[in-house]
Amino acid sequence: MHGAPVLEMRDISRRFGNTQALDRVSLRLYPGEIHALLGENGAGKSTLIKIMTGVHQPDSGQILLDGRPVHIGSTLEAQRLGIAAIYQEPLMYPDLNVAENIFITHANRGLWVDWRRMYRDAENILSQLDVRLDVRQPARGLSVAAQQTVEIARALSLQVRMLIMDEPTAALSAHEVDQLFAIVQRLRDQGVSILFISHRLEEVFRIADRITILRDGQLISSAPRAEVTPERAIRDMAGRAIEQLFPRRDTVRERVLVQVRNLGRSGVFSGISFDVREGEVLGFAGLVGARRTDVGLALFGIAPADSGTITIDGRTVQITKPAQAMRHGIAYVSEDRRSLGLSLPMSIAANITLPTLHRYLTPIGLLRRRAEASAAEEYRRRLSIRAPSVEVEVSRLSGGNQQKVMLSKWLNTKPRLLILDEPTRGIDVGAKAEVHQMIDDLAAEGIAIILISSDLPEVLAMSDRVLVMREGRQAGVFSRREATQERILAAAMGQPETLASQVTEPSAQR
Amino acid sequence: MTTWRQRIHPEQLREVSLVVLIAAALLIFGWQIENFLSARTFNRIAASVAIVGMVAIGQTLVVLTRNIDLSVGSIVGFTAYFVGSQLAANNAMGAPAAVALAAAVGGAMGLVNGLIVAYGRVPAIITTLGTLAIYRMLLINYANARTVTVDSLPAWVVELSRQTLFSIGDFAVRPLMVATLAAVVVFQFVLGYTIFGRRLYAIGSNPDAARFAGLPAQRMVLTAFTLCGMLAGLAGFLFLARFGTITAVAGQGIELESVAAVVVGGVNTFGGSGTVLGALLGAFLIDLLGQGLLRWLGISEFWRGALLGLLILLAVASDAVILGWLRRLWRGGAEVDHDR
Repeated sequence: MHGAPVLEMRDISRRFGNTQALDRVSLRLYPGEIHALLGENGAGKSTLIKIMTGVHQPDSGQILLDGRPVHIGSTLEAQRLGIAAIYQEPLMYPDLNVAENIFITHANRGLWVDWRRMYRDAENILSQLDVRLDVRQPARGLSVAAQQTVEIARALSLQVRMLIMDEPTAALSAHEVDQLFAIVQRLRDQGVSILFISHRLEEVFRIADRITILRDGQLISSAPRAEVTPERAIRDMAGRAIEQLFPRRDTVRERVLVQVRNLGRSGVFSGISFDVREGEVLGFAGLVGARRTDVGLALFGIAPADSGTITIDGRTVQITKPAQAMRHGIAYVSEDRRSLGLSLPMSIAANITLPTLHRYLTPIGLLRRRAEASAAEEYRRRLSIRAPSVEVEVSRLSGGNQQKVMLSKWLNTKPRLLILDEPTRGIDVGAKAEVHQMIDDLAAEGIAIILISSDLPEVLAMSDRVLVMREGRQAGVFSRREATQERILAAAMGQPETLASQVTEPSAQR
Repeated sequence: MTTWRQRIHPEQLREVSLVVLIAAALLIFGWQIENFLSARTFNRIAASVAIVGMVAIGQTLVVLTRNIDLSVGSIVGFTAYFVGSQLAANNAMGAPAAVALAAAVGGAMGLVNGLIVAYGRVPAIITTLGTLAIYRMLLINYANARTVTVDSLPAWVVELSRQTLFSIGDFAVRPLMVATLAAVVVFQFVLGYTIFGRRLYAIGSNPDAARFAGLPAQRMVLTAFTLCGMLAGLAGFLFLARFGTITAVAGQGIELESVAAVVVGGVNTFGGSGTVLGALLGAFLIDLLGQGLLRWLGISEFWRGALLGLLILLAVASDAVILGWLRRLWRGGAEVDHDR
C-alpha cells in the first residue's frame, strides 16, 4: 500500500548472557503507517526499540534505511537518520521553557541564541500538530500529556521520519489519549512512520494499521489490523514455552491468614481485594506498570495504603511502617536485591540477622556473634548458599547466592506472610529451580506466600490462585484450574469479553 | 589454602597497612632526624593525637552513616572556652562536673546538627558548614575578646596534661591519651558488639535496605551526630587541659584534621565500613608525618594544612584504586559471579 519501506530490520538477533532477547526478528516500517508492536513482558520489544535507536547493537542481522544498509551506533546517529523515540516518562528540562525544550538537541545553531526565531519556529511546529501551548512557559508544571507533545515537537524539529512511542498512553486520561491519537494520526498523514507500543489492546486496535507480535524474542506474526482479532493477538502473545512445570504440592490450609479489602493508595492503585490462606501461594500477575510491586510495598508499610483494610487473623491492622508489618509477621523480599535488599560490604551473617538483631543479645545488651553465625550457618546449609563461610562479604557472592541470603534474612524473621517480588529475576536456571523448591517447602510449612512475578509460566506453575492486575486495578482472580496464559494476558491487557471465568470476589474454594 | 583470605577482609588490611606505614615513617624519621625517636616527640604527638583522636571517633560515627560533621572544630573551641570560663569563675567545680558540662554542651550542638540533617533533610555538608560558622560566632560573642588564662583555672585542670600516670621507659603515659584510648576501646566495642553499631554500618552501606529491614534511620543519624558533638565536647575539655589558654580561635582547623584522620584511617566516605581504631591510627600517622616532615624538611607550620589536604586526597584515591584491586584479588580467590 505504501511502496518501499522506510526502515527494514532483517534477521536481527541479540543475546544478553544466557537470554536470547531477539532471535532473527524482521520488521518493515512503511511511511505513513502506524505499526503496533505487541508482546508480553520480556518478549523482546524494548530490545528491538533499543537497537533501532542505537542504544544496543545487534549481534547479527541488518538494518536498512531506504533500502540502504545503515549502522546505528548511538542515539545521536539514530536522530541524524530521522529516528526518534518518546517514552512513558517524557524527558524534560523542567526549568527551561517549552521552546528551549523543543530545540534542546540543536547544537549547531550558532554561538548566540536567536530567541525570536526560536519562539517562531516552536510555534510553527506546535501549530503543525494543531496544539496550543505557550512556548515561553517553563516545562515544569506541564501535564504529562503536554510534555509528550513537547517531545513529539522536539522529534519533528529534527525532521523525524520514524517515531517510536513506547507506552505513551500509560499515564494519560481518556481525553488526553484522544488528543494524542489525533496528533499521531496527523503525523501519519504527513508521512511519518510510527512504531506504537501499548499494553492496552483496545488502543492498539483503534489506531494501528499493522500489528506485529513478539514472543520469547521471536517474531510470531505480523499482519494488517483487519486480519487480526484481539483473541488471536492474545493467543499469539501467550503460549510461551514452559521449560519445566514445577510440581507443586497441595499445601493450602483451611485458615485464612490475611484478608485485604479494597486496598488503595491514591494515584497508584485501588480496589485490591483478596484472601490468602496459610500454606497458599497467591500469584500476582500483570504487565510492567500494573503496580503489583506497589501493593506489596503497601502491605509491608514502605508506601502505606491510604484506603481499604488489611485483616490479619481476624483483626484489622494498620501498617504504616516496615517495623509494624514485621510485627504482624509480614516479610517482603524485594526484587532489587542490590539496591534495596542487601548491605553488600557486610557479611552474610550480618545481613541475615539485620532485621532480628534483638534475638542475639546477651543479658547486658551485647551482640552474640557466635549465635548470629550459627543461625546464618543453618540457612547456609538449608538453602545451600555457596560461600566458604558466613563471614564472607555478600558482595563476593553470585546473584543467585545473594538472592538466597536475602531470602534467609527474611525467613529468619519467621514470617507468616512472605511477599516475594520477582524472586527469580536475573538468576540462573539452577538457582531458579532451588527457589521454586523452597517456595513449595515454605508453603508446606504453612507460610502464606504472595508471589509477584513477571514470568507468566512461573506464576502459573507456582500459584494456587492468581490475581491479575492492570494499571493499578484488580483485573481478576483465577484459581489454579482456571488460570491459563491466555486468560491472564487477556485480563492484564483489559479484554473483558474473553474473561469467561473472571471472579470478582476472592474465591474461597479449594 | 585460602583460609587467611576468608578470615581477613580487604578493609581490615587497611589497619595493618597503617601500622606498617607508621613503623616505616618512624624508621625513616629516626634515621634521618637527630633525636627524633625520643620521649619528647612521642609526648608531643600523643598530646595532640589525644584531642584529634577523640574528635575522630565521633567523626567516624557520622561518616559511617554517609554524612560528615564539619562543625567539630567550632564545637571543640566553644566547649573549651565555655568550660574554661566556668571553671575560672568557679574554681571549686570538680572534674566530673566539668567533664559532664563539656559533654552536654557539645552534645547539644551535635543534636542541633543531627536534627537539621536527619529531620530537616538538609545535606550534612551544608548543615555543618553553616553551624561551623554559627558556633564560632557564638564563641566570639561569648568570649567578647577575652581570654581564658592558665592562672585563672583550678590547678588540677592544667595538671592533667603534665601528670604522668605511669611510664614505659622514657615515654610518659598521660591522662589525656588514656582518656582517648579508653574512648576508642569503648566505641570499637560499641560498633562491633551492639545493635546500635551494627545498624550504623547497615544504614551507611545501604540506606534503602536498612529502611526495608525496619531500621529507624533518622533516629540513628540523629544519635550519631549527637555522639559526635559529645565527643567533640570532651575533646574541647582535653584542649582546655592541654593549652590552658583559650581564645576565640581555639580548635580552628580540627574539622579538617578529624576528617583527614577518618579518611586516612580507612573509613569509607560512602559509609558502611571503617573502625574507630583505624581513625585513631590515621590521626597518629598524620601527626607523625606532620612532625617528621616539618623537622626533616624544615618547612613551616603553614605547610601543615596543605599536607593534610594532600593526605586526604591520597587516602581517598588509594581507597578507590587499592581497595578495588584488593577486592578483585579476593573475589578471584572466593567465588566467581555466575550470572550476567
